[in-house]
Amino acid sequence: MKSDRFERWLQNIYNTQDEELSCSECFDLVSHFVEVELSGTDPAVKMPKVKQHLGQCHACHAEYETLRDLQRLENEGRLPSLDDLQNLIH
Amino acid sequence: MSEARTNQEWLHDLNASGATQEAAIADLRDLLLRAALYFFSRNPGDFERNNGDEITQRAEDCAQDALIAVMNHLSDFRGDSKFSTWAYKFAINIALMAARRERWKGVSLDELASTGESDFLESKIQDHSDGAAPEASAMQGEVRKIIQAVIKHELTDKQRYVISMMVFNEVPLDEVVRHFGTNRNAVYKMLHDARRKIKSSLQEHGFEVGEMLSLFGSSG
Repeated sequence: MKSDRFERWLQNIYNTQDEELSCSECFDLVSHFVEVELSGTDPAVKMPKVKQHLGQCHACHAEYETLRDLQRLENEGRLPSLDDLQNLIH
Repeated sequence: MSEARTNQEWLHDLNASGATQEAAIADLRDLLLRAALYFFSRNPGDFERNNGDEITQRAEDCAQDALIAVMNHLSDFRGDSKFSTWAYKFAINIALMAARRERWKGVSLDELASTGESDFLESKIQDHSDGAAPEASAMQGEVRKIIQAVIKHELTDKQRYVISMMVFNEVPLDEVVRHFGTNRNAVYKMLHDARRKIKSSLQEHGFEVGEMLSLFGSSG
C-alpha cells in the first residue's frame, strides 16, 4: 500500500458515518446526482449521502465517473459512435 | 434517433408494441452498447489478455444484459434525470463487473489473504516514520498499534478478510462479492463496520482527523 493510499484510507476512516447509503441506494440515486452535477449545481450540497458513499466505494465511484463523463459527451453532442469506440479497443 | 426522444417518449415507445417498440429497443440497445464500450475503452488494463473482437463481444453481452435490466426496471424510472443517464448506469454497472472479472480471473483471493496484513500495515506505516521527528514517529507507532489491535481483536473474520482484500490488496469490491457469493451491499456493510470500529478506537485514544492526517503527511 503506497503512502498516498494509506492517507486516503485514513481519510475514509474519519469520513465514516454511523449510517451510510448502501451500494444499491447509491445506484438508485446516482443518475440524479449526475444530472444535478451537469446542471451546474454542487451535488454534494443537494445529495450529501451519495457524495459520501462515492467517497468510500471505489466501484460505485468508478461507475459514477464513467456515467458523468458519458452523459457530458451526450449533452455536448459528442457521444462517440460505435465505430469510434470499437476502433479505440482494437 | 434515440437522442431526440424525450423521457416520456422513451417510456411510451418502450412500453408500446410492434414496430414502435422494436425501434425503441434497437435505439436503447445501441446506447447501452456504447456505454459498455465506453467503459471498456477507459479501462484497457482489464482486458490485456483479450483481443478487440473478444472485447467487442463482451460489450455486446453486457449491452444485452443491460437491456434486460432496463426493461425489467422501467417502472422504477422516476424522471429525475434524462432517460439515457438512467439507462446508461445499468450498462456501466454490468460492464464494470465484467471488466473486473476479466482482470482478476485466475487470481486466488485466499492466497492473497494469507498476506500478513499486520506486517503489511506495519511496514507501510513505518515508511512514514522514516525521517520523522521522534515524537511524531512515536505517535505513528501508536496509531499502527491501535489499528493492528482493532483488526486483530475487534473485527470479525469476514471484516478482517474484506479489509485485507480491498484495502491492503486492492481487490475490487465485485471480486470479493463473487468470492463470498453475496452482493455489494453485504460486502460494503462489512467494510463500513470495520471502518467504524477503527475510527471509534482511534478517537477513543484521542486521535482526531486533522491530527492524524498531519501526522502522516496528508494535506487533507
